[in-house]
Amino acid sequence: MKIKVLAFAAFGEILGREREVELEEEASVKDLLDELASIVPGFREAAFEPSGILRDYVLLMVNRKRIDPERDLSRILVEGDELAIFPPLAGG
Amino acid sequence: MIEIGEEEISLDRMIQRVRRNEAGAVVSFLGTVRDDGILGMEVEAFRDPALSEMEAIRQEAMSRFSLTAAEVSHRTGRLAVGESILAIVCSAAHREEAFSGCRYILEELKARAPLWKKEISSDGGGHWVEGHGR
Repeated sequence: MKIKVLAFAAFGEILGREREVELEEEASVKDLLDELASIVPGFREAAFEPSGILRDYVLLMVNRKRIDPERDLSRILVEGDELAIFPPLAGG
Repeated sequence: MIEIGEEEISLDRMIQRVRRNEAGAVVSFLGTVRDDGILGMEVEAFRDPALSEMEAIRQEAMSRFSLTAAEVSHRTGRLAVGESILAIVCSAAHREEAFSGCRYILEELKARAPLWKKEISSDGGGHWVEGHGR
């Protein structure tokens, strides 16, 4: 299945502003992040602690709704879902 | 009106749009690019969620502070030192509500709207401003 990934600020520079990622059916948000880490140089270091835990400044939305990186990484994605990844907000 | 765009902000036009006969106060805030030894800034938005969040914040301010009208305009793209980044204009019957509403919109926008700023240095490099909004 195809999942659209949008990335902003520093993550946009690493991942590109928009890309599509091909995943197995029933893949989770964590599977998607792991796939990005394996195909995009620099993303693993930027997004994950050396221990493998997602860094606390990584913020995520699925289909424009915020998800909790502590609770929702196991959420199963479906064809056409959109993941947005960005650092803490800094407008104004 | 809530706007995100690259065009220069017209504070005059925003003020005209929030003026009401029943409003005795109009308060405006204009955020500009400060010269911290930088050439300028680049502002990026996750546009639709940012517009939705800004509209939600505007409505909260309208009801909490009994505003008669409120408008918010945030710029994106490359901005030089001194240029406007953000304008907020609120009208209310009295000054306390207008000041409080304007301040509320500013602080909530910084904390909740998906927008980011990158400082562009004179050597052409860039540095993303560390955000505190989550």
